Amino acid sequence: MACHIPRLVSLLKKKHFLCCISAVALKRMLNFNAPPLKNTAAEPVWKVLIYDRFGQDIISPLLSVKELRDMGITLHLLLHSDRDPIPDVPAIYFVMPTEENIDRICQDLRNQLYESYYLNFISAISRSKLEDIASAALAANAVTQVTKVFDQYLNFITLEDDMFILCHQNKELISYHAINRADIQDTDMEAIMDTIVDSLFCFFVTLGAVPIIRCPRGNAAEMVAVKLDKKLRENLRDARNSLFTGDSMTAGQFSFQRPLFVLVDRNVDMATPLHHTWTYQALIHDVLDFHLNRVVMEEGMGAEPSAGARPKKKSRKTYDLTAADKFWQKHKGSPFPEVAESVQEELDTYRAQEDEVKRLKSIMGLEGEDEGAISMLSDNTAKLTSAVSSLPELLEKKRLIDLHTNVATAVLDHIKSRKLDVYFEFEEKLMSKSTLDKSLLDIISDPDAGTPEDKMRLFLIYYITAQQAPSESDLEQYKKALLDAVCDLSPLNYIKQWKAFTKMAATPANYGNSGVKPMGLFSRVMNTGSQFVMEGVKNLVLKQHNLPVTRILDNLMEMKSHPETDDYRYFDPKMLRGSESSIPRNKNPFQEAIVFVVGGGNYIEYQNLVDYTKSKQGKKIVYGCSELFNASQFIKQLSQLGQK
Amino acid sequence: MAVDITLLFKASVKTVKTRNKAIGIGFDSTKDEIFKRSRPKSGFSPRAKEVITNITKLKDFLLQHRKDYVSAGSLISSDLSRMTDNDRDQIDQDAQIFMRTCSEAIKQLRNEAEKQVISAQIKEHRGAVLDLIETYLKGVCKLYSEQRAIRVKRMSFVFRPLEKTASSEVQDNPVNLWEESRVEDELSPEEIQMFEQENQRLISEMNSLVDEVRQIEGKVVEISRLQEIFAEKVLQQEAEIDNIHQLVVGATENVKEGNEDIREAIKNNAGFRVWILFFLVMCSFSLLFLDWYDS
Repeated sequence: MACHIPRLVSLLKKKHFLCCISAVALKRMLNFNAPPLKNTAAEPVWKVLIYDRFGQDIISPLLSVKELRDMGITLHLLLHSDRDPIPDVPAIYFVMPTEENIDRICQDLRNQLYESYYLNFISAISRSKLEDIASAALAANAVTQVTKVFDQYLNFITLEDDMFILCHQNKELISYHAINRADIQDTDMEAIMDTIVDSLFCFFVTLGAVPIIRCPRGNAAEMVAVKLDKKLRENLRDARNSLFTGDSMTAGQFSFQRPLFVLVDRNVDMATPLHHTWTYQALIHDVLDFHLNRVVMEEGMGAEPSAGARPKKKSRKTYDLTAADKFWQKHKGSPFPEVAESVQEELDTYRAQEDEVKRLKSIMGLEGEDEGAISMLSDNTAKLTSAVSSLPELLEKKRLIDLHTNVATAVLDHIKSRKLDVYFEFEEKLMSKSTLDKSLLDIISDPDAGTPEDKMRLFLIYYITAQQAPSESDLEQYKKALLDAVCDLSPLNYIKQWKAFTKMAATPANYGNSGVKPMGLFSRVMNTGSQFVMEGVKNLVLKQHNLPVTRILDNLMEMKSHPETDDYRYFDPKMLRGSESSIPRNKNPFQEAIVFVVGGGNYIEYQNLVDYTKSKQGKKIVYGCSELFNASQFIKQLSQLGQK
Repeated sequence: MAVDITLLFKASVKTVKTRNKAIGIGFDSTKDEIFKRSRPKSGFSPRAKEVITNITKLKDFLLQHRKDYVSAGSLISSDLSRMTDNDRDQIDQDAQIFMRTCSEAIKQLRNEAEKQVISAQIKEHRGAVLDLIETYLKGVCKLYSEQRAIRVKRMSFVFRPLEKTASSEVQDNPVNLWEESRVEDELSPEEIQMFEQENQRLISEMNSLVDEVRQIEGKVVEISRLQEIFAEKVLQQEAEIDNIHQLVVGATENVKEGNEDIREAIKNNAGFRVWILFFLVMCSFSLLFLDWYDS
């Protein structure tokens, strides 16, 4: 145990947490499952990486193509593409153990495509499928070629240090719509629960810790918790094959205390996914096309084609927003005006550094004729060498500044055209139940404030957060105004049902006190100097407030008593007998917590949790959800549900 | 955290084998193994591996002798670990020849890979493999040039104090010694002293020459390193300039075509106008004619 302590201490000091663990696991796999050597200039060993779509989604946020190349991967190919035989190269497979994938692997073995095969399955493979591969290998006489087979238990996608989602492909199968639709069969539900539990189980195996599970009663979250508890319990009891034994945990025990795992259902808070937001990352997700840390934008918009001329070609640009991008890491949770100012600042610093480098030219010219000045010359050459070697850094910085300028400009265009700041302010006021200075009807009937979807979102938030339902005549008025603005009213039907259901169940969610202060004239004067002219866009200051999910987490972590969370169920897989009680055995507040939203989550909740973590010292919180949707996708699901 | 199920796989293989034996399906394993062994020996991959082993040998050699190479050679250290300058020069030369042969081998492999008619995937794979080998070679060359730069810098610093002491000795000696040179064959003490002084002078001259040469060598090494960096950048720029050139040529072509089209359009326009005028004039003449015919 003593040898673990220095490793524990270093892990606690590490700032990067989940990304590190997953990335380390991936790198081990790519190094033929041996720990990577830290040798400088080690001999290159080349390999080929074969993945399916699930594997691609898992790898792409964590490792870039350049990093793959540095690890010796010469080719990376999809499993179900046409692949040519490359006879003297080892191949690493990273796939899900489904029927088609297994068939394709057997086909590859028969066709003798590669020299040796390292099979890595994203989640555990069943015995029968393993025997299928064995028989194919025997038939092709390739048993010696199958060098290693591993179960990687990596069936989840790590997007950030403290955020993960379950899957991106086939996410309709476990979406909010799939879980909450009226005509769902028991078998379907079982299948969905199994998928979710499998991924969560993989997550805990990778983390190397057995959590304490808390969940509310009576909804999908409870089903997931029961199944997960059962699965963890079975695995712990099976002493031979347990995945949680002490010596096999490497990145595991990151604290002496077990983490808290809070499962919540999406239905506890329906307003947050519809909310308009003001922080950078959440805005990008809401307004632009943002998946798996990649933004896809169309360039060349804005110029109107003159009559008769060919329209300007719109090129699609893809930007990766990664952990290496320092500006992104610093500002992804900041309010948008702050981001605009910071981009301006970065640009100024970059220009200053560029001028420094250019100045060296004149220095060199002046002191070239000094004789016998070896020291002077070597000093100059040292300066020149350092300037030249710092050039790649400068170029990289310039590229990032350009990236963020483009992205922020696109977001700003959307904000201006749809008047998103007005929506944001109004919704904040609705959610904190402070007085409204404009009536809802005004905004809905305003023809150039936002798309019909924006208006629908605003109205749904109003409906959800109203203490009592609006009167029939008011409702009719609103419906007419919405229909005038070409909105689709089917989400409203579903929300009515939901509201009726939750009124029966528990107290309605309280969104806490938040205040929104427009900063007014002073800030506008300050902003005129910046490149982003924010006229007409109010500079809003966010006051700290807690969304329902954050509040639930706070209560559970600090062991506070609150009517909302008092009757949450309590599961401890390590206890010998499962108990039905909801009295926690542990009286100390938890240091680590994992929050998981069944039915979908979004960046606003994530940002709120991050802010909460910052305010508490020494706590680590990880956010996960079964799928990540932005408001427009959520509204589509709601309208599908409302149409039934 | 990954779980190694290779043993489980091997167990499955055994199960399947026994099951097949029980059913009666057998596989002819020996023939296939013989076929496997006769794979081409002089393929791309064995040669690439050879280059890598050579580079590794060079790297090990450099690292092994690095301590001796870089050491200041103090007078107290034992003779076994001291390296003479000859040895160091030998190492430098050998290393350079080796690196040149390796980079030529890589270029050769690349040309061959280009010429062979193989699928796109294999081409990409081979290109990436050669890139990896080149990066490895660059890393090892960096090792070498680092230690060489250290050595040269140290040399240029070491010889400056020597030069100063030698020159101070020279100044003490009187200048006109040549007249008293060849009277006797026996070496009198004065002649011995004279010869000694001459020796000293020659030594100091040689030293200063050597010193200057070393200074120049140091400067040249630094310049060559910077040159390398610049050359890389220039090559990158060359590719981009080629690209721009292509684009510009395309643009001029398009503009020329555009001009032609405009000229034709003007001509058509003008021709069209002429025909309209003609038609109108004819119409008016026919009107006049009809009018005259009628009356």
